[in-house]
Amino acid sequence: MIRLDEIVATQGDFSLSVKSLSIKESGLVAVLGNNGSGKTTFLSLLSGLKSYEGSYELSGKDFGSYSAKSAGEILSLLPQSGALNMPFDVFYVVLTGRFIHTDGRSYSKEDFDETERVMIETDIMHLKERPFNELSGGEKQRVLLARTINKDTKVLLLDEPFSDTDILHQHKLIGLLKELAKKKLIIVVIHDLSLAIREFERFLFFESGTLSYDVTPEEIDEERLSSIFGVRVKFIKEASKLFIYTEEV
Amino acid sequence: MKKSNWFIILFFMTLALIVATVFAVSIGAVKLPLFNMTTVEKNIFFNVRLPRVLLAGLVGAALVMSGALFQYVMKNPLADSFTTGTSASSAMGAVIAIMLGLEKLIPLFALAGGLTGLTAVYKISSVRNRIQPVTMLLAGIVISTFASATISFMKYLSDDAVSSIIFWLMGGFSSASISKVIILAIAIIGSYLSIRSDFLSLDIICFDDMTAEASGVNVARLRRKIFFIASLLTAFSVGYAGIIGFAGLVIPHIIRLLRMVKAAELLPMSLIGGGLFMITNDLIARTILSEGQELPVGILTSFIGGIFFLTLLIKRKKELFYFD
Repeated sequence: MIRLDEIVATQGDFSLSVKSLSIKESGLVAVLGNNGSGKTTFLSLLSGLKSYEGSYELSGKDFGSYSAKSAGEILSLLPQSGALNMPFDVFYVVLTGRFIHTDGRSYSKEDFDETERVMIETDIMHLKERPFNELSGGEKQRVLLARTINKDTKVLLLDEPFSDTDILHQHKLIGLLKELAKKKLIIVVIHDLSLAIREFERFLFFESGTLSYDVTPEEIDEERLSSIFGVRVKFIKEASKLFIYTEEV
Repeated sequence: MKKSNWFIILFFMTLALIVATVFAVSIGAVKLPLFNMTTVEKNIFFNVRLPRVLLAGLVGAALVMSGALFQYVMKNPLADSFTTGTSASSAMGAVIAIMLGLEKLIPLFALAGGLTGLTAVYKISSVRNRIQPVTMLLAGIVISTFASATISFMKYLSDDAVSSIIFWLMGGFSSASISKVIILAIAIIGSYLSIRSDFLSLDIICFDDMTAEASGVNVARLRRKIFFIASLLTAFSVGYAGIIGFAGLVIPHIIRLLRMVKAAELLPMSLIGGGLFMITNDLIARTILSEGQELPVGILTSFIGGIFFLTLLIKRKKELFYFD
């Protein structure tokens, strides 16, 4: 689905580089790393909001050959700090995720039906008529995630979608993403290492602007993680469950 | 808001607008009967009263629509033609046209002035593609002050046109004519038709730019278009009726408080609401003083708008920061 080769993207003093990366059509991929390691830049690059040098293929075609609209029909991006400046009701906020499927002038019956379905799946139907700006931080985050899912594209790029979400809804939403990931490629920037290792199928670790470690859950190594994060990482296995313990070095 | 409720409100607003218009054309320095007018009365009605009332309504509609549009692109409920400095810089353009003796080209000069001022304010207040509301207001004040200083300087340079400029700047509709009414009506209808296809996109640019862009809206192109249309509407209003402050701030805010937030609800309602607001204000302005004297309508709207702005700042701080 996605293939990167010798990619370099610069932003001021910062530069992101990915030597070679290939990601298949579906699955749940976690992007991890310390602050400023290039995770967000990586998602911006994939979504086409950042210019780059090197080769980026999406669905077997050079990314440069896509128009903004045709790329938008394949990719959805949930930015880290989404904001909305008007007191729209929650249903309408989620509905606007369908914009790319409209003629630009009005939403169809299907758009309304899909919106309702996604809102039920993400457990925000009870917020339907509330003005968005009156929600709590975690509720806003869930609404914006629902909005991104509602765009219904092959690839979802989510930048820290659970940072303000309560544990209950983290579990529910991860369950939903896993279900969606049977048919879609979902790439998620996440800080919660134990959640990532428990639920994700592949991990991309970034260190000072470089994709440095690309592994599956089976291959993952404590020593390597310790050096990436600068803390001591220990895996504790109990009753076939994996726990992760971290402490300052 | 439900579509049916919206239509009911639109219906009553339109009704109110018609009633206000009927009152406004019959009441004034000379009271006119609506039926069986004498020749003199007909003359007053068609050449003075009717153009004036229509111009007031159209300027109101233009100012309120431009205010609503400014609020979309500036991502700020305090944005309108006045607070962004667009009115003052349009006025500067208009005064330059008057000084050069090019009275026919006033709207064009006003547009050029307005666009220049607006671009400056936008550039100053956008930090990494986000508009800071407070910086926008400060930049608006700076640009307005600069434009006013330039106007004062030009007034100082040429004495003969002074009194007319002063009166025109205070805002009013005493120079109304049918040709102005027709030109402004065309500008408003054209603007409305050209942004009608962008109503959904306008709602989406209320998100942060990254989200809006990722949703499939070409943010930069839409913003340029809205800037142009809003400046055009401001330029014509200023050119024909001087600086009338705050209408574009007060009316969209009230409409949003009534929970008409989407562009498809807000903008049509802004046109009707703006017309109603300005016709009523003009009626009060020209009847409140005795013996046929009249108050420049800009004084009245600034009074109302100033009080409104102040209440907003004191009581409704939270709403000002939807936009954060």
